[in-house]
Amino acid sequence: MSVGAPPGARLRALLDGLAARTIFVVLIGIGAVHLISLWTYRHALSQQAELAGDTRLADQLLGMKRAVMREPPAAREAVAHDLSGGPLEAHWSQTEHATPGGPGAGHWQGLAERLRQAAPELGEDGLVIGANRRNPDDPHLAIISMKLPDGTWLNVSLVSTSPHPADGHGTLLSTTLMALGAVLVSVVLVRWLTRPLTAFAAAAKDFSGSAAPVTVREEGPREVRALAAAFNEMQRRIFRLVEDRTQALAAVSHDLKTPITRLRLRAEEIADPTLRGAIADDLGEMERMLDQTLAYLRGERTDEAMQPVDLVAVLATICGDLSDAGAVVTLEGNRSAVLEGRRLSLKRAFGNIIENAVKYGGSAEVAVSGKGDTIEVTIADRGPGIAPEDRDRALAPFVRLEPSRNQATGGFGLGLTIAKTIMTGHGGTLELSNRAEGGLLVTVRLPTDAVAAS
Amino acid sequence: MPDGSPVPSDRSMAKILVVDDDSEILGLVARFLRSNAFEVLTARNGAEMAASLQQARIDLIVLDLMLPGANGLDLCRNLRRTSAVPVIMLTAKGDEIDRIIGLEVGADDYLAKPFNPRELLARISAVLRRTQAHAPDTAAGTQRLVRFAGWRLDTTKRELTDPRGVIVDLSTGEYDLLIAFLDAPHRILSRDFLMDATRARTQEAFDRSIDVQISRLRRKIEVGQEMIKTVRGAGYMFTPDVTRGPA
Repeated sequence: MSVGAPPGARLRALLDGLAARTIFVVLIGIGAVHLISLWTYRHALSQQAELAGDTRLADQLLGMKRAVMREPPAAREAVAHDLSGGPLEAHWSQTEHATPGGPGAGHWQGLAERLRQAAPELGEDGLVIGANRRNPDDPHLAIISMKLPDGTWLNVSLVSTSPHPADGHGTLLSTTLMALGAVLVSVVLVRWLTRPLTAFAAAAKDFSGSAAPVTVREEGPREVRALAAAFNEMQRRIFRLVEDRTQALAAVSHDLKTPITRLRLRAEEIADPTLRGAIADDLGEMERMLDQTLAYLRGERTDEAMQPVDLVAVLATICGDLSDAGAVVTLEGNRSAVLEGRRLSLKRAFGNIIENAVKYGGSAEVAVSGKGDTIEVTIADRGPGIAPEDRDRALAPFVRLEPSRNQATGGFGLGLTIAKTIMTGHGGTLELSNRAEGGLLVTVRLPTDAVAAS
Repeated sequence: MPDGSPVPSDRSMAKILVVDDDSEILGLVARFLRSNAFEVLTARNGAEMAASLQQARIDLIVLDLMLPGANGLDLCRNLRRTSAVPVIMLTAKGDEIDRIIGLEVGADDYLAKPFNPRELLARISAVLRRTQAHAPDTAAGTQRLVRFAGWRLDTTKRELTDPRGVIVDLSTGEYDLLIAFLDAPHRILSRDFLMDATRARTQEAFDRSIDVQISRLRRKIEVGQEMIKTVRGAGYMFTPDVTRGPA
């Protein structure tokens, strides 16, 4: 991910896989439901607990009030003291200790209401809940002052305690377990659902249109099965289409040979030697085009077997024939370079490259060197070279880099394509680069043992 | 190229049977060969071919591979059972495999359509010359493997193999030159003879001196051992022993 990518992009990158997305959605969904239900449950629970607490407090207070009422005034303080315990501390006095208002006023007012509801007898004579007069700033310390029938007061100081027990660990644990479960379920689910998709991707990547298609298995959920069937059908259709086109092109190329043969024979009857020569040249060019087209369509489907071949002898034949035809061609380097290969294919491939160099670069300098189990052949010319951005196109079929180039140079732009295919078929590589001193440099590297190398 | 190259006497009035189902090509080839001083018979299929063979003594057959009914391969195979008449196979298929099959069923040479008429002429001359030189002991289809100094030349596949078993590619000119040497080992061959032998196949006017061809062939086959000896003022001599055998 690039630095400074917007957060949206970062999230998208993180959620790139189907598994990540599914985990994300399941986690969010189940997590939300889990937390809402947890909250609702706790809320109900705490309400109930509050209610129970209020009732118990009311009962306690009522008990205190009754007990203190029964005693003579002299013993009242002692009884009140005896009854104190827990959060409650009771004192008997002539006046009320509580004063309404103060920091926790709302809360205490509510408590008073609830206590009156729980035990109406509590409020019969008067009930004040409020801050401690002596310590009015403490919101946790409240005084409940109950008026006794004789006008005296029973003051109970109350330490406000949280009704909610601290149980954060339980929530954290259940939430974590839930998340883990969601992740586990998502991973299994996604694996199960996407395995066929991975097979599709592999089949689509391998599908070349020229080799028989590899069908994907029609299994999995209904939608995936339907997709597999459609995918296989599409593969078959594309393959048939390519096959049909290829065969049609091959048939046309092939059938053109008969009329060209006739033309060649007819041309022999032309008296004018210049005209006869020109027609022969044209026919030769047509023939080369057909030949290249058929070679391209045949691709790697060759009947030739791999055999030990001396590449230098092959190159010497090509260079010799070309220099006999008047081209400037040199061959340097090893006197022998043996590799496992197809002699005629290699001859065609190197013939195409060297002829190209002569045709577009004016000359060809061929050099052979052996490096371990690799043979390197470089073919350099002194032409304009090929711009880096055009190099891929130069290797593509039916591309001629300069449309303006004189048609007399011939060819369909298949030469380098065929050469590259043949080199690849031998486990080798073909690279184009420009020489520093100008001109194109074609570098071919071939393993001496293509079978072992592949 | 000059019109009507001089016709060597050894092939004059040789009788050629051309078999092709395309009557246009049949007529054109016949006319072309007649204009080059051959006697020509034509046949459009196997039956007509058989009839012609009974009527006349044929010196060479130019046979199209793709014929209706029995194809050229079958015709050639059947022919070989009874006759050693040389055959040049014509086909529209340029595949190497067709050439090899064609030569394996007993054809003496092979030419892919669209062929250059002069190339056909050259091949006819070469085959006639070769079969006349070796008849009858090297009947076509039997003596296809030539061995010398550990090397092996398969004339069916036109494949030269060195003592290590590595295929060494030859140009057409080099191949023809080697064939000429293998046909006459230990004999001094003049430049003119060798020039004629290599020119028979390649239709292009050969400006390269025969010495260049020889030096190229030497570079390919002479690895630490001299095979082609220069005889000053006379020509060249192939020194290794040559043996022939079936493929």
